[in-house]
Amino acid sequence: MSLEELLKSGTAPKKDDISEQELVKLFRKYQGLQKKQERDQAFWAATNENLKIAYEKLDEKERELAKAYDIIQDDLSVASKIQAALLPQCTEKMALELDVAVYHKQLAEVGGDYYDFFNTCSGSYAIGLFDISGHGVSAALVMTYLKAQFMKVLETLESPKEIVESVNNTSFDFLKTVKKYATVNFAVMNTTALRYVSGGGYGLLLSGKDRTVFEKRDAFLGLRRRPFHEYELSFGKGDLLALYTDGIVEAQNDKGEDYSVQRLNDLIVNSSQKPVQEILDRCLEDYRKFRSKDSDDITMLILRKKV
Amino acid sequence: MAKQDRDDKLIVAGSTLQGFAQACINLNIVAGNKAENLLGEIKITDWYPFNKLREIERVVLEAYENAAPILERVGMEMMLGWYNYGPGKEIIKKGVDFLHFQTGSQGYASVVKGPEDLVGSFNLEFLDESNGEAKIHSTTPFNKDMERGVVIGGMSAPGDLDYVDASNDDDPHVFIIEFA
Repeated sequence: MSLEELLKSGTAPKKDDISEQELVKLFRKYQGLQKKQERDQAFWAATNENLKIAYEKLDEKERELAKAYDIIQDDLSVASKIQAALLPQCTEKMALELDVAVYHKQLAEVGGDYYDFFNTCSGSYAIGLFDISGHGVSAALVMTYLKAQFMKVLETLESPKEIVESVNNTSFDFLKTVKKYATVNFAVMNTTALRYVSGGGYGLLLSGKDRTVFEKRDAFLGLRRRPFHEYELSFGKGDLLALYTDGIVEAQNDKGEDYSVQRLNDLIVNSSQKPVQEILDRCLEDYRKFRSKDSDDITMLILRKKV
Repeated sequence: MAKQDRDDKLIVAGSTLQGFAQACINLNIVAGNKAENLLGEIKITDWYPFNKLREIERVVLEAYENAAPILERVGMEMMLGWYNYGPGKEIIKKGVDFLHFQTGSQGYASVVKGPEDLVGSFNLEFLDESNGEAKIHSTTPFNKDMERGVVIGGMSAPGDLDYVDASNDDDPHVFIIEFA
């Protein structure tokens, strides 16, 4: 019987079943298998050792990553506090003349939505609402830059058009360099009227029975070196001004539908007789019921003229 | 002459380079981007600086603390590829043919070129087929662990031998071969 036949039979051979030649062949086969096993063992031992080292390195990297993450989180927490501190309180004059309700929520620890209250050089007050492209730290840094620009310009200029144009001109190259832009809603109030510039911002003014929607109108800050348009609207006792960024109106529900400017403005109109905080709360409640998740920074200001 | 200087003056066949890289990938010795980078745009018909092969070798040497068994297996895997998917089947029919193919360093001469005194040789010095013994002397620039794998893999590839072993423990440049 040949060795192959013997192996196929599956039965252990008796002494006479196998020739001496086949026995030698069997020995060689066994020897060959033994060598192969030795080589395999050496190969897998080297591989396992490598795997062990790789796991140790991975553990080390994980520890480094966790440490770095903690540092970043700490930094972001401080940055968040700094950014919150940069947001304004009502000026004395504003508090006397306006009821103000504000909602401001960044998607991350820091973000690009930014609103501000200013005194102008002639003693009026101004309100600005901005949405810097992107989120997070880079948008927050641009926010601080723009805040400084507006504060500087407001020391000498009075008209919203001049103010926004001046900031656009001085910031243009910087914003291009950092590949950022910002929507702007900027309004300067006096006793009976407001003058405003809208560069991609959203807003609604209810004056008596008149309803004026701030459309996107001019370009964003940092997008074009073009003049901005200024509009003047009556803003007397009892009139209501709502300014907001796109976080609410562009939020989507599970079906992929936008919340929409129309829906928000209708809700503001229908609630306009309520106190400003209640109007704001109603808007937020409706938004939260609608949206599937927060996907952008959100800022909304509701202001009513008291005097 | 330093190893680096020698490598600078030699070129290696794209087929060898690709065989080496492909073997590393087949054995999952390297993966992901590293694997893609290994193969790069190697063309089997082109010739490449020998340093290119050193780069691939370095990837293995840097990744493994004990690289000898790995490189040996790479050499074996290379020769399986050479036999099954390359010209191997045309050149050798039996395991012992692989040894004959090394006579006068003809096998090695087809994969490395350069100044004669630097190319070196991979030469069958002794063969006793009946007792299953042979000796190859190597002065090539290839890694000797990998080269041992080449001998074992090349002889095992046809599948007619029950036993093949090659050892260069005493002298890295001399392979003592046993087979049956």
